[in-house]
Amino acid sequence: MDIAVSVKHLTKKYKLYQDKWGPIKEVVSKKKLHKEFLALNDVSLDFPKGEAIGVLGTNGSGKSTLLKIITGIADPTSGTVEVNGALVFLDVSSGIDSELSGYDNIFMKGVLLGYSKEEMMEKADDIIEFSELGDFINQPVKNYSSGMKAKLGFAISVNVNPDILIVDEALAVGDSMFRAKCMNKMNEFKEQGKTIIFVSHDKNAVESFCSKAAWINKGELIAYGDSKHVGSIYNEFMSGRKKLEEIRTELTLNHSIEQVYQHVTDEGLSLELKGYLYGTKADTSFDFVLKENRTGEYISKPLERIAYSGRSSLPADVAGDAGFAISISEREYPNFLKPGAFTFLVRSKNENGEWVQFPLWAGNADLEGAVDQKGQFLYKAKVENNQLILRVDNLEKVQEQVNKIWLEGNNLHIEGVAFVRGYEAGSQEDVSIRMHVVDLESFEEKSYPAVVSETEEITENPSFNPQGKNYNFAQFKTVINLDEFNKGKYEYRMKYKMNKEPFHEMYILVWASNSKEYPGGALQLGDKEVEIQTGSKYLRMEVR
Amino acid sequence: MFNIYKEMWDRRKMIHALSLQEIKKEYAGTVLGSVWGLVNPLMRIAVYWFVFSIGTRADNPVGGAPYAAWLAIGMVAWFLLNDAFRLSQKAFRSKRSIIKNTPFPIAILPAVQITFSFYTHLILLVVILIAMAFALQTVSVYWLQILYYDFAALMLLLGLGSVTAPLVAISKDFGRFLDTVLIFLFWMTPILWPVENAGPLENVVKLNPFHYIVQGYRDSIFYHSGFWEHPLYTLYFWALVLVLFILGNYLYKRMKPIFLDIM
Repeated sequence: MDIAVSVKHLTKKYKLYQDKWGPIKEVVSKKKLHKEFLALNDVSLDFPKGEAIGVLGTNGSGKSTLLKIITGIADPTSGTVEVNGALVFLDVSSGIDSELSGYDNIFMKGVLLGYSKEEMMEKADDIIEFSELGDFINQPVKNYSSGMKAKLGFAISVNVNPDILIVDEALAVGDSMFRAKCMNKMNEFKEQGKTIIFVSHDKNAVESFCSKAAWINKGELIAYGDSKHVGSIYNEFMSGRKKLEEIRTELTLNHSIEQVYQHVTDEGLSLELKGYLYGTKADTSFDFVLKENRTGEYISKPLERIAYSGRSSLPADVAGDAGFAISISEREYPNFLKPGAFTFLVRSKNENGEWVQFPLWAGNADLEGAVDQKGQFLYKAKVENNQLILRVDNLEKVQEQVNKIWLEGNNLHIEGVAFVRGYEAGSQEDVSIRMHVVDLESFEEKSYPAVVSETEEITENPSFNPQGKNYNFAQFKTVINLDEFNKGKYEYRMKYKMNKEPFHEMYILVWASNSKEYPGGALQLGDKEVEIQTGSKYLRMEVR
Repeated sequence: MFNIYKEMWDRRKMIHALSLQEIKKEYAGTVLGSVWGLVNPLMRIAVYWFVFSIGTRADNPVGGAPYAAWLAIGMVAWFLLNDAFRLSQKAFRSKRSIIKNTPFPIAILPAVQITFSFYTHLILLVVILIAMAFALQTVSVYWLQILYYDFAALMLLLGLGSVTAPLVAISKDFGRFLDTVLIFLFWMTPILWPVENAGPLENVVKLNPFHYIVQGYRDSIFYHSGFWEHPLYTLYFWALVLVLFILGNYLYKRMKPIFLDIM
C-alpha cells in the first residue's frame, strides 16, 4: 500500500499566556507563566494513496491543526510529517483578493499555489466554466455573494490538479447543485488514484464519501479505520450515548456475543449468552450488566471467563480464558424484568476506581435459540445497531387515564379509569389493580392497593366500546400516604391483573394527561414539598 | 546560513509574479491605476522643494548641483528605501490570512514587498532621469552606476526586511517602533541637507547605510565619482549587509514556529 501522507507521533503545543506581557515576564523572571494547550497529542496516522479519508472531530478537536501541519502552514512541536506528491489545501476564502476581479484572482491564487502564469492560462477556461460565474468573472470579487466566492475558490483549487487534495469543511457553502458537482469532481479524483483528505464534523458526509476515517478528539486520535465503523462510534459519542472512556475501552477490547438462548418456565424467563471477551487488559475483571434503557435500572454479576469454544478463531494465546457464558433468570432477579428494553453490557473499573461500561458487540450473534416467548410478559431478543436488545412487552394493552388527583391531609388521592379492550369486567372480582411508586434513584418500589369501582364512563362511550362490551368495573382509586416518602424523584406505575381467563397481568406506566384536574405547583407537607409532575404525560412526583 | 535567500532565488519567478499582483492590487479599482505611483512621490518632492527653497530659503546649490535636482535624486533613492522597508517589515503580518490558510513558502514574502517597491521605483526613476537629462542638459556614463546602487539598495533592504519582518510578526509594538524610526531616519539621513552640514558628526551620520545609497545616487548623477573611490565606506556597507543576511536567516528560522502560532 502506497502512502500519500504519513504522520508520526505528531504533537502540537500552544502556549497560552494570562496577559500580553506574559512572554516578556517569562523571559525576565525565568518562571513558567503559561499554560500549555495540547492541540495534538502523539498522533500517528497513514493516509494511503488513492483513497478518500475522512477526519472527524468536533470544533476545536485539533483536526484543523493536523491539516495545517500536514500542509506545512503550521510547524509541529514534535513528530514528523511525510508528504508524497503535490498537495492542495482547498479552502475557499484564502488567497482571494476582494478588489481584484475573479479572473485576476485565478492567477493570484495560482501563483500562491506555485503555478506559473502560462500554466494557469491553460486552466483558466476550465476554472471559469466550473465556477459557473459567467460574465461575473470580470467583476471585482467584492461584488460577489459568499456562494459565488466559494464557487470560485473551489473551482480554482480543484482544477489545478493536485495529487493530494485536502478539503476543510469547504462544501458547507454553495447550493446543493454545486455541491453535487464538487462531489462528482472529487469522485473523479478518487478514480484517478488521487488522495483526498476530507475534514468534517458531519459523520454522514464522511461516511458517504470516504472509505476510511479518523476520529480526533481533544488532540488525540481515538479511532482510525473503516469510515462506517468510525462514524458510528463518533455518533455514539456525539449523541451522548457513550462516554469517551467507554469507547476507548471498547476499542481496545475484542468482544462478541455469539449465541443467545432463552426459555420461559413457571419461574419466568431464563437467558443464556455465550461469546468472547479479550483484549490488552488481560488481568481486568469484568462485570456483566443488564440495564433497562429508559430508567437505567440494572443488575450485575461478575463475568466468569472460561475457555472459549465458539465458532470464531481467536488467537491461540488468549483462547484459554477468552470465552464467557452467562445465565440470567427471573428466578435469580425477581421483578427486575419489566416491560421495556434492556441492553447487555460489561463494565470494569478504571485506574481511578470508576466504572467504565460498554455494550457487548452482537453484530454476529446467533439468535436461533432466542425465539419469542410468552411468560408473564412477551420476551423478544434482537440485534439493533450491533447490540443485543431484549424487549419485554405486556401481553395486552391497558387503556388508562388518571382523571383526578387531590390531596387530603397527607394523603394523595388518585382516581382514574383502566381497562383492557376485549376483557369484560362486569364485577369487582374480575380485576385487581395496584399502584406502585418507584424511587428513580434506588428503584425501590412501594405498592398500594387500588379500589376498583363501578363506572359507566367506558361502557357508555361508543369510541371506547364499539362492540358494546361491559367495562363497568374500570374505575380505580388509590390513596397514597406521602409521609412515607423521602426526598427524591418517583415514578408511578400500575399493575393491572385479570382475575379470570386469560389471567394476564400487565405492568404499565400511569398515563396522566388531564392536567387541569391535578394539583399544580408544589404542595407543602410539613417540612417537605411535593410536586406532581405530568409534563411527560406520565405521572411522576418529586419530593423536596 | 543563507537558506532563505536561496529559497528566494529559487522562487524568483514567483516573487516576480506576486509583486506584479501587488501592483495590481494596490491600484485595483482606480481609473488612473499606476499613474498614482508617480503622482504621489512627485508631489512630495515638489512640496519639500517648496518648503526648503521658498519657505526657508535654504536652496543653495550643493557642490555645484542645483538644489531642486539634488533634492529630487536623493528623494528617489529615499522613496525606494522607505517604501520597501516599511512594507517588508510588515510582510508577514500584512499577509496573515495567506500565511494562516495557504501552504506557501512564506520566507519569500519580504522579498515580494521589496520587489513590488522596486518596480514602482523604476518607473519614478526613469521619469526623473529623463527630467534630469533635460534640466542638466547632459548625460554621463556615470549614470549607469545607479544600477549598482539599486542593487546595493535591494540587498540592504533584503537584509533589513529579513531581520525585521519576523520580529514585527511576533511583536506589534516593534512594528510601531520601526515606523517611528523611519520618520527619524528621514530627517537624520542627509536627504534634505548636505552631509557636510553635520560637521564633526559627519562620520556618525555616514554609519547609516541608507546614506550610502542616497549619496551614491548623487555621486552618480552630479559628481561623477565611482563607488570604488571610497572603498572603506563600500566595504563597511557590504559587511553590514552580510551581517544582516546572517542575522535575518537566523531570526527567520528561530521565530517562524513562534509567529505561526501567535499571529
